[in-house]
Amino acid sequence: MAPVTITNVRKRYGSAEVIHGVSVNIEDGEFVILVGPSGCGKSTLLRMVAGLEEISSGDVRIGGKVVNDRPPKDRDIAMVFQNYALYPHMTVYDNMSFSLRLKRRPVSEIDSKVRHAASILDLEKLLDRYPRQLSGGQRQRVAMGRAIVRDPQVFLFDEPLSNLDAKLRVQMRAEIKELHQRLKTTTIYVTHDQIEAMTMADKIVVMHDGVVEQIGAPLELYDRPKNLFVAGFIGSPAMNFIEGQVSAVNGQPAMTTDDGVVLPVSVPRALLQTGQRLVYGIRPEHITLGEGGPAAHVSVIEPTGSETQVFMKLGSNPLVGVFRERIALHPGERLGIRLDPGKAHLFDKTSGQRLA
Amino acid sequence: MRSNSVGWLFLAPTLLILFIFGVVPFLYVLVIGFTQWNSFAANPDMQFAGVENFRRLVFDDQFLYSLWLTLKFAFFAVVSEIVLGYFLAQLFMRDFPGKGFFRTIHTLPLVIAPIAVGATWRLLTVPGLGPLPYYLNRWFGYDFNISRYIDQAFFTTVVMDVWHWTPLVTLTLLAALSSLPKEPFEQAQIDGANRFQIFWHITLPLLKPAILATVFIRMMDALRTVDEVWMLTGGGPGAATRYIGLHIWRVVFPKTDYGYGSAMSLITLYLTIVMCWMLYAGLVARRELKRVD
Ligand SMILES: Nc1ncnc2c1ncn2[C@@H]1O[C@H](COP(=O)(O)OP(=O)(O)O)[C@@H](O)[C@H]1O
Ligand SMILES: [Mg+2]
Repeated sequence: MAPVTITNVRKRYGSAEVIHGVSVNIEDGEFVILVGPSGCGKSTLLRMVAGLEEISSGDVRIGGKVVNDRPPKDRDIAMVFQNYALYPHMTVYDNMSFSLRLKRRPVSEIDSKVRHAASILDLEKLLDRYPRQLSGGQRQRVAMGRAIVRDPQVFLFDEPLSNLDAKLRVQMRAEIKELHQRLKTTTIYVTHDQIEAMTMADKIVVMHDGVVEQIGAPLELYDRPKNLFVAGFIGSPAMNFIEGQVSAVNGQPAMTTDDGVVLPVSVPRALLQTGQRLVYGIRPEHITLGEGGPAAHVSVIEPTGSETQVFMKLGSNPLVGVFRERIALHPGERLGIRLDPGKAHLFDKTSGQRLA
Repeated sequence: MRSNSVGWLFLAPTLLILFIFGVVPFLYVLVIGFTQWNSFAANPDMQFAGVENFRRLVFDDQFLYSLWLTLKFAFFAVVSEIVLGYFLAQLFMRDFPGKGFFRTIHTLPLVIAPIAVGATWRLLTVPGLGPLPYYLNRWFGYDFNISRYIDQAFFTTVVMDVWHWTPLVTLTLLAALSSLPKEPFEQAQIDGANRFQIFWHITLPLLKPAILATVFIRMMDALRTVDEVWMLTGGGPGAATRYIGLHIWRVVFPKTDYGYGSAMSLITLYLTIVMCWMLYAGLVARRELKRVD
């Protein structure tokens, strides 16, 4: 176990820079998730921590020591790849014991470590199988078992669940989290799936186009996204965005959309300038039913049993609402909604940054 | 039914050619192998001789020596080709200036006819004329004479074969290497393997099918080498490079001992098949395992 510090790290492939100075502090024993859309540089960053990619500039420290020039084998890390990277010609047992055999550990120690990891992961019956004789979920477990027997300073995961079906993914998500609670090994986990990030992480690092957009605890990112990108990326269904211009109602600041809908905002007037373009963000579950607010027109209703998703139009702006109550609605119907100004997020249109 | 007979119709020309040029000569040799037929013998007519030819073969020192030489030749040639071919393939997996050019000229020997390869090497090495003996003598004082020294002649034939056929090995291993998944190698680095351990525990096992297949092809080829060696040494000095193909040729043509020569060919074919079958068994056993799921 060790803290990992990434300081102003850049990665260039030839003249193209794909990571533009990323800094992340990871505490000892923390479970950190790097999340972002495909191609934003998550894997590249993780591979630089692993030592599989050269670091163009900046420092990576593991346990306080700069490891930039150390090969992967001297960094005391274990990694789980998206496609598991099992050795196809070795049995599950040999796959799991390979690193220990390389270190020439005593046979009895190897055996007890492998069997212990196998029992944690429910692999005992599969030890003699070859990877090709395993299902996707089992392969995934073997890859994790191989990491566990190492007892490394840091676990690195690169989208380990994306090749599994939805049900198994949910199950493995819980298992990985439980495993971390048990082993308390510092973990860096890469995913493009924000649900995975929200459910598993102690701390989330949101990346976009090679830069860090925001770092924080899951609910912190959910409740106070720093910018439009994070606001739109975290949460499902995604936050609703409505564009408009600063105006005032009864002396209170408000935003008027291009269709003339007026939405009161709870941002100090000092932060706003007349004529400023704004983006008003409201999460689907913060839209409530009731008269007195603006009126929307229902376009599609999706009942899931536990909740009802309603797709509607507020003027020309599409909105999604999630309601716990079962409401009888029909497409085209008029629906009175209320947007709680206290729950709304206000962003500057040009900079994309959060206001207050 | 109709489509079936149309299929046979399309295959017919190929099958006919295969039959005339493959099956018929084979059956002919098979029959001759059991006869006594030598146009220089007291009775030059073909007579049935049972297994007499095969009985004689087992005690024929010249034949057995030639067989032993052939195996030795094939062993040294194929092993060197695999090792050298592997290193070249690894080299071509990397990037270096002039790689495309070098890779192209390196495959040129493959397109040269064996007889021309033999001629080239003869011109290079022939004593009194070739540049190789001349400079070896002048610079190192080394007496290089393939018409006098048995070992030099033998190893020159090996080197010639290696020169001719290593590119084939390089190309097959290069194809195999580039189709290997990248992740197990990265995983092995993380698991703490050094270069040699990665080679031994990961690369080699993953390349095994490709290596076995290449050995299989090269082995069959090396066992039937005739023309190159015939051009280079003519089988000499003495019988030092008289590999089995050359030996059979000598028995059948200058000596016109058709029956005995045919028996020799059959035994050689049999041995080749057995050896290749053993290699093939090793190869297929691995495949069968893979199909289990
Ligand atoms: N070997 C490489 N050469 C050039 N560009 C690369 C290379 N590897 C990755 N990239 C680029 O770096 C960016 C980040 O890639 P990656 O880290 O794999 O993204 P992610 O894992 O977030 O999907 C991508 O735009 C990709 O095209
Ligand atoms: Mg990736």
